Amino acid sequence: MVSSCEEHEMPRFAKYSAYEYSDLDEDGGTWQPILIASADEIVIEAPADVNSVEYQADLVSLKSIVANLNDKQRDAVKYWTNNPAIRWNEIALELATKYNLIPGPNPDGTYTLPTPANPDGPSPFPFAHPAYTSRVLAYLSVAQFDGLIAAWHYKYQFNRLSPAHQDDAIETAYPLSSLPSYPSDGAVIAIASRDILNAMFPLEKDYINKRAEEHLASLLWAGANVESDLTAGELIGSEIAKLALAKASTDGMSKAQCPKPVSDSIALSAFNRFGWQWKNMEIPVRPVGLAPLYCNVKMWSVPNLEAVRPGPPPSLDSEAFKKAVRELKDIQENMTEEKRKIANWWADGLGTYTPPGHWNRFAKDFLIQYEQNPIRTARTFAYLNMAIMDAGISCWDAKYHYHYPRPIQTIPGFKTIVGTPNFPSYTSGHSAFSAAAASILSHLFPAETAKCQKWANEAAESRIYGGIHYRFDAEVGITQGKAVAEYTLDKLKVDGAD
Amino acid sequence: MSQTPSDAAMMKKREACFAITYDQGSFDQYWEGTYLRSNETIAKVKRTTIMPMIAIGILDNLNFYVGVPYVQTQSDKPNGGQLQGVKGFQDLSIAVKYRALNKDIGNGTLALFAAGGFATPITNYLSDYRPYSLGNGTDEWSLRGIAQYKLKMGLYVRLMGGYLFRGQTQAERDFYYNNGAYYTSWMDVPSAWESNAVIGMWLLNNTLRIEASYYALNSTSGDDIRKYNAAQPTNKVVFDQFGLSAQYFIKPVKGLGVLVYYNQMLNGRNIGKVTTLGIGATYQFKF
Repeated sequence: MVSSCEEHEMPRFAKYSAYEYSDLDEDGGTWQPILIASADEIVIEAPADVNSVEYQADLVSLKSIVANLNDKQRDAVKYWTNNPAIRWNEIALELATKYNLIPGPNPDGTYTLPTPANPDGPSPFPFAHPAYTSRVLAYLSVAQFDGLIAAWHYKYQFNRLSPAHQDDAIETAYPLSSLPSYPSDGAVIAIASRDILNAMFPLEKDYINKRAEEHLASLLWAGANVESDLTAGELIGSEIAKLALAKASTDGMSKAQCPKPVSDSIALSAFNRFGWQWKNMEIPVRPVGLAPLYCNVKMWSVPNLEAVRPGPPPSLDSEAFKKAVRELKDIQENMTEEKRKIANWWADGLGTYTPPGHWNRFAKDFLIQYEQNPIRTARTFAYLNMAIMDAGISCWDAKYHYHYPRPIQTIPGFKTIVGTPNFPSYTSGHSAFSAAAASILSHLFPAETAKCQKWANEAAESRIYGGIHYRFDAEVGITQGKAVAEYTLDKLKVDGAD
Repeated sequence: MSQTPSDAAMMKKREACFAITYDQGSFDQYWEGTYLRSNETIAKVKRTTIMPMIAIGILDNLNFYVGVPYVQTQSDKPNGGQLQGVKGFQDLSIAVKYRALNKDIGNGTLALFAAGGFATPITNYLSDYRPYSLGNGTDEWSLRGIAQYKLKMGLYVRLMGGYLFRGQTQAERDFYYNNGAYYTSWMDVPSAWESNAVIGMWLLNNTLRIEASYYALNSTSGDDIRKYNAAQPTNKVVFDQFGLSAQYFIKPVKGLGVLVYYNQMLNGRNIGKVTTLGIGATYQFKF
């Protein structure tokens, strides 16, 4: 593609400014949390009265900070904005992208997989593949959401308004809001995000801690909070992160990447049942596919795998299979620029933020566009990512239950324009993730329904153009993702927010 | 290779030279950053180039060049990735070369040149598809200085230094990693310095020319290929290579020459360790 003389901008993060919230959701503290039964399960102290000596001293200190900002501090305030869950979602996506690399072979042809027991290597932990990334985003978003429900509960219980309300001389960089500022919602987000991401990306602790420190400091620089607001918010963030990580440590993820004997027996089961089995076609061959037991990770909203498991794919001598093969061959032999672009647009493969990341990006854009407040933002990310994670678990269940071979395995001499991943074909992860995500975003942003459906269908189609999925992988994957999201929506509809 | 914007050959006014070359470059190892490795996902990568080019003498001291390569890429079998190669026309390049000096000094002649060029993709190939992509997918402006000292007995030495200014290329995805997240389809292709040192000799009554050359390219910015991951147009490409070439002018047919050339990359960064073998024909004529 020819570039003109003008330089195109290459943004590293969303360019948006702090905005006036479309709504304050004063009843946010009554919404149903995910990890705790109710907001008051987390206990914080009552704040000092605004006329107290302590609080007045906090105000004096804050006034001095705000009056003496340097450019770096002003930039930080602009960057973090008054909806910082969006920034932490971007940070999570960037870390996922950094770690979304598959280990190469050792000189002797074996593969050494990343392990949390030895995160430094030889392969750094984690391998942030789509399933891993969806889980990071789910725990991160759920912790943020529950933390903000608790924060909203106490904000409106104690009703201590922001420093700018207490003292005319304090200018806040953010639009003045009557949202009470004790406890600090920014601090909840900073600490909850820091603790979840530190656990998920153990080699990045220095970086993540630095970002959290800067975020906390920026809340003072912005004149948005006093120190005691932050302390209370940090406590909530810390407590909710502990609960989220306790759940994560027992959700089955540690056993998802099973050893070869187990993987072989899963393949043999499928072979005995159906007469086929998927094989990795790389050189050297990878002995185990990606996370064959990811299906055993606990889903957020779906009661069991059988509730959403699709029926079997067509047998390899059926007309349906042959038709799908004809289509794949035809597409590769007559590749068009349009199909190539669609395949690449949605590929989200190694070295990128994965399909779950792509849908979080769409959510972020909507959240900014609709000027949602922090608690509704967190709710959007929480339900989106719970649905995406559940869709991934269901999809991985189908993949290893049916163990269906990929096009490069069944079609002799077949070449593709997108690389074939290290896991079976039916059903398509892109389709399941995308359909689930589209269902959630369509419900939360009804005006965007057509757009979301189009994106999901195109994401599914892109895998056929790429040459790595049969049409029925994509179609059934879409149905599967929608079915999974229904369970998430059932919970969302009754959580008290609407 | 002969009559290029990088060498010291000049067409006289109203002379032209048409050249066509056919070469194949291949590698089964590449530098991932500075780490030389093989990767059975791509195994051995072959790149075939057919390049027609014409050099036109506008004035004795001013030449104009136009060339457009046709490129085909693929991996040998067996390979683990089973990815499609690509074929098509790559970039149209045009250049102007000016001989600023052509002076007898001592036992030979010193010639100084300046050349400026511009290349632009003429098909919508996907640049973000390494190692199979046909090219960088962006405009390139080049500026080169050339100096050659040739002894009367036929031995010569030539030096070239140049700067290649590259723009941005458009990927077909709008998110990528370049030492950090980028939310755009535009990728920065690093600009580069290049240099070339050649020693050559005319033999057999000026019908045979042989050359040995050393060439180096250094990108001024860019990231490294990530571990066991695909290369990207944003990468910092550095390499040097050694080359040999011979051009023979066939006596019975006035103006016709044949050439053969060989290049071998020595050290590199974010590029295949390419071995190239090529042949070509040249035809010089007056118009």
